[in-house]
Amino acid sequence: MTAEPASFRVNGRSVALDDVPGAERLLDTLRWRAGLKGTKEGCRTGDCGACTVLVDGRPTLSCLTLSHEAEGSAIVTVEGIEDDPVGRHVVAAFRDTAAVQCGYCTPGFVVALTGLFKERGAATPVPTLLDDLGGNLCRCTGYAAIARAVAAARERLR
Amino acid sequence: MAEFSLVAPRTVDAAIAELRSHPAHEAAVLAGGTDLLFDLDHGRDPPRTVVSLRHLPWRTLDWTGGILTVGSTLPLRSLELDPDLAARLPALAQAVRAVGGIALRARATLGGNLGRSAPASDLLPALLVLDAEVDLVGPQGDRSVPIDRFVKASRETVLGRAELIRAVRFPEPRASAYAWQRVRPVNDISQVSVAAAYSPGDHGWRVALGGVPPRAIRVADAEEPLRGARPAADQVARGADRIARHPALVGDRRASDEYRRRLASALYHRAVAAAVASGGGPP
Repeated sequence: MTAEPASFRVNGRSVALDDVPGAERLLDTLRWRAGLKGTKEGCRTGDCGACTVLVDGRPTLSCLTLSHEAEGSAIVTVEGIEDDPVGRHVVAAFRDTAAVQCGYCTPGFVVALTGLFKERGAATPVPTLLDDLGGNLCRCTGYAAIARAVAAARERLR
Repeated sequence: MAEFSLVAPRTVDAAIAELRSHPAHEAAVLAGGTDLLFDLDHGRDPPRTVVSLRHLPWRTLDWTGGILTVGSTLPLRSLELDPDLAARLPALAQAVRAVGGIALRARATLGGNLGRSAPASDLLPALLVLDAEVDLVGPQGDRSVPIDRFVKASRETVLGRAELIRAVRFPEPRASAYAWQRVRPVNDISQVSVAAAYSPGDHGWRVALGGVPPRAIRVADAEEPLRGARPAADQVARGADRIARHPALVGDRRASDEYRRRLASALYHRAVAAAVASGGGPP
């Protein structure tokens, strides 16, 4: 198997690696090489959304992204989300509404919601936001609190 | 984890040459990868080489002359966020939103969905009723194939060796809709789906049935009773009875044949009503 250099910007810092195998997933590069364990592996098949990161501002499944495919992109993980003003409000909304149970799905939800506000704007109706978060699963089934966090984040941003 | 070498040619010619240099079953084409990567992990005979299209200039969207041309590697999320899509081609907008979640659609592409031709594709029924054309480029040059001839069966297309999908074209805006039913609304496979579109040129309708083996299909029987932009209730009822009798509506682990027949009828009613109400089509 060939391993080639790859470089990205992750949470504003440059990350240059010289031996990334073609088959390596962005999820594994972030967790095991960049040491950013906030991004979670849930299903590894694109069904749960726990591994969601922002790639050039857009919520993206890092488990279904080959690292080389994201070369040159700006990546934001949950560790960097509070450097973004929108992300800061989203995190505060999850905290204020206690929208966290075991916490495993939380990074995916926070990153996806931050990206959604950036893509669609804070005026987006709550039902549209919830519909767009349908790809994120909470295995504790704590959806009522998460829906409250979505509404609270939207209020904070308006 | 499967092992393979990943190559990313800089030009279309280089991509075709790369594909020609490997035995057909040993090289795979990577557009967004949402379907291919699953196969690389779980498939029985993984390819040794993966040819990425990421450097090719196909992440495009163009509405010139009312014809929508979607580059094959444009992420579905970009297509979905186009401000004109929902008004001009409602069935396509709704079908795109039926594919995975937003973070999957950030990677998934129209070209990948067609090239991989998964049997339960949500896009294929919409493409069928909108009379999409698939533009190909390969060692023998360019050609275009109508969508109803492009996908032959599950995981089988007319793509030749080293041939690539460059773009998909939608010849005109159409009042249309896509209706589906599944257990989980997101990231699930449709048990049955129905797409419907009114074609102003011939005053007739196109109707396609999805979620059935071996692939989504046009249902001429259920198109024929519908005439004009606002078909009467008895025309719609006749079409619904006919689609519910389609032989492809068989039972499997996701739904019984009886349930699928009821769904097909209900979704047909829903899709035709939504298409009429969509006001989609020419401005």
